[in-house]
Amino acid sequence: MSDEQVPPTVESNDVEEPFDLVRLSLDERIYVKLRGDRELRGKLHAYDSHLNMVLGDVEETITVVEMDEETYEEAVRTVKRQMEMLFVRGDGIILVSPPSRTGDE
Amino acid sequence: MQELQERSPSDFLGEAIGRRVLVKLNSGVEYRGILSCLDGYMNIALEQTEEWVNGQLKNKYGDAFIRGNNEVEIQKGDAITITAMKERLESTLFW
Repeated sequence: MSDEQVPPTVESNDVEEPFDLVRLSLDERIYVKLRGDRELRGKLHAYDSHLNMVLGDVEETITVVEMDEETYEEAVRTVKRQMEMLFVRGDGIILVSPPSRTGDE
Repeated sequence: MQELQERSPSDFLGEAIGRRVLVKLNSGVEYRGILSCLDGYMNIALEQTEEWVNGQLKNKYGDAFIRGNNEVEIQKGDAITITAMKERLESTLFW
């Protein structure tokens, strides 16, 4: 009998469907791009199939473009805020980027 | 051509796995990268993703999950084969 046989793993590290990317990011810090020029960086505690999420130790970055009414110059301003724990409704999410999986994580 | 008619939208997307694709969102933002996989909601996983806004490179992600409701079209490589994805895969079957 071959010793090479790999036991069936409960948690595969392969990405076979898009949600595997999210599953493999549990307990890791992730980047989330939201509608309305908002970005989040935080630790992924939980998610569901709608991509609703619970993030911990979150920093939200809001990008605001302001137009000077006299000079018509556009100024890009970012507002940041910190939250200990945040529930994010999945329908506002555009993109999720996990920490890099390159290397031997 | 007859052959073209027999290919379904999911055949097209299946063939694109592992290849460079361009995913365009309804906001106009484009993501260029290698298509890892996709599901029935048309959620998409891309590798080596570049985010392009108004023709400018804005960001790079090693891996990216793009939520399925935001996409407008996917182009395979540079060949323009347009898929007018609106909401979900179910609705795209009626093109």
